[in-house]
Amino acid sequence: METRGLSKAFGGLVALDKVDLSVEAGKITAIIGPNGAGKTTLFNLVTGVYPVSSGEVYFQGKLLNKVPPHKRASLGIVRTFQHVHLFSHMTVLEHVMSGRHPRSSYGFLEAALRLPKARREEEAISLDAIKYLNLVGLGTYAEHDALSLPLGQQKLLAIARALATEPHLILLDEPGAGLNTLEKRQLSDLIRSIREMGITVILVEHDMPLVMGIAEWIVVLDSGAKIAEGTAAQIQKDRKVIAAYLGEEAE
Amino acid sequence: MLAGLKSKWAYLTIAVLFAFLILIPFDWFLGRYTTLMIFIGIYTIVTVGLCLLMGYTGQVSLGQAAFFGMGAYISAILSKTYGVDPWLAMLIAAVMTGAFAYIIGYPIFRLKGNYLAMATLGLGLIMWVLFRQLSQFTGGPDGMPGIPYLSIGGFIFDTSFRRYFLVWFFCLAVLLISQNIVRSRTGRALRAIHGSEAASESIGINVDQFKVKILVLSAVYASIAGSLFVHHLRFVSPQPFDFLASVKLVVMAVIGGLASVWGAIFGAGATRILSDEILLRFGQWDIIIYGFILMLVMIFMPEGLFVKLKDVFNRLRLRYRQRGVEP
Repeated sequence: METRGLSKAFGGLVALDKVDLSVEAGKITAIIGPNGAGKTTLFNLVTGVYPVSSGEVYFQGKLLNKVPPHKRASLGIVRTFQHVHLFSHMTVLEHVMSGRHPRSSYGFLEAALRLPKARREEEAISLDAIKYLNLVGLGTYAEHDALSLPLGQQKLLAIARALATEPHLILLDEPGAGLNTLEKRQLSDLIRSIREMGITVILVEHDMPLVMGIAEWIVVLDSGAKIAEGTAAQIQKDRKVIAAYLGEEAE
Repeated sequence: MLAGLKSKWAYLTIAVLFAFLILIPFDWFLGRYTTLMIFIGIYTIVTVGLCLLMGYTGQVSLGQAAFFGMGAYISAILSKTYGVDPWLAMLIAAVMTGAFAYIIGYPIFRLKGNYLAMATLGLGLIMWVLFRQLSQFTGGPDGMPGIPYLSIGGFIFDTSFRRYFLVWFFCLAVLLISQNIVRSRTGRALRAIHGSEAASESIGINVDQFKVKILVLSAVYASIAGSLFVHHLRFVSPQPFDFLASVKLVVMAVIGGLASVWGAIFGAGATRILSDEILLRFGQWDIIIYGFILMLVMIFMPEGLFVKLKDVFNRLRLRYRQRGVEP
């Protein structure tokens, strides 16, 4: 994934200002920065929630600017949300089954008449969904109503739903927010195993121990601009980063 | 073992209900309710479409009577004025109404929530005015008599008894198709859209397209119901397709439980029985009673009366079973 001169302005407010970013495939990259630095805006541009103001987003060499958001999932880009965004009145299993949407194809007519294609695909969809549910450790909750789960498990479910689309790139928006210490450790393990599946991970996160523990590359944004990038060790020593987080007197 | 037992009971229940449905129009059974049941069947077809649109996909329509009326008028005008075969007229009506829903679908779904409700309300009002004012085609406010019956070969659907089976054949077909859709990849996508449009897009669901498709499907259902309606009554006038009709359709969907396909029979049934047998005495005041029912249901059982009753029944059965197990 790569961005060149990526900018987004809301009216007069520049949320993201000419950001050049190059994310190495198969690695865990974290994007950090103070509130309002433009982290979530960057996610929204990469996944197509907002149109870009200027600049380009590339994925596997393909220009994404004009690709509508729902098509980006079949290209292999998926995201989770800060506020989970689970569906109401849907079981845990059905959530993950809905994540198989871009990897199945039967439509209205086949569904209406329950044609063999529909039945065959539906069986594959539920088997695959169970596989992803077990991957995040929620297999035993398959028939529960998703919204009855505690927040930690809801976040795992959102990740399972995203993984079910078979992405090459997964963007996690504050996956650690609201989790307790044990849940955060489980989350770190899960993110590492996602990477081992060959999926590129980009995460926005405020929890520094979590970020420093798993990220192989860290990008720091401040006021819509990239101010530093490097490994955890490099970032921790970077004067500009310390200044951005603690204020100017650290200079 | 338990699962097998459960499905055996389910099949038995379905068989009994089906036999009941077949026996209703016979004079020695419930024959005097045949006409009422025909209307319930017709309104169930419209209500199911509304359930898919409102209950599953979460898109409000306060103008569903527009599609119902289009089906009715196109069928009436083609078969009476132009002498087109009623079945062909019915097909043309469904295609035209569906195409119309498709064309208005993309612009109308740029709106959400209350704005969508207002736009669909406007659609219903415009259609009603057209039915009244295009009197050279529609017969205006006085309506249009003399619409032919449907027939297959030499078999004419000229008695209520025969039309009962015709209407319920369509009704059950629509219910089965809808149930299949609900329990499919498409059904999950619709419910996902209801839950979160942003999350739906993120997992590759084309939100706008699904909304338009389900609007088209609900419009086609309404159109088929409208065609059956005029070939049953042999008369069409603007009154059954006014704003009150759209409100009544919403009441039917809400009573049946918005997110329940089979509840539509219950919703359409309860509402028709209420209006034909009870509210007739209140004359113009019936709209107030509908409004009141709508408020009560939304406040106390937003998942619908039918779904609520089903829950209560299941709870009672569970309690009964537990008592049976204990010594």
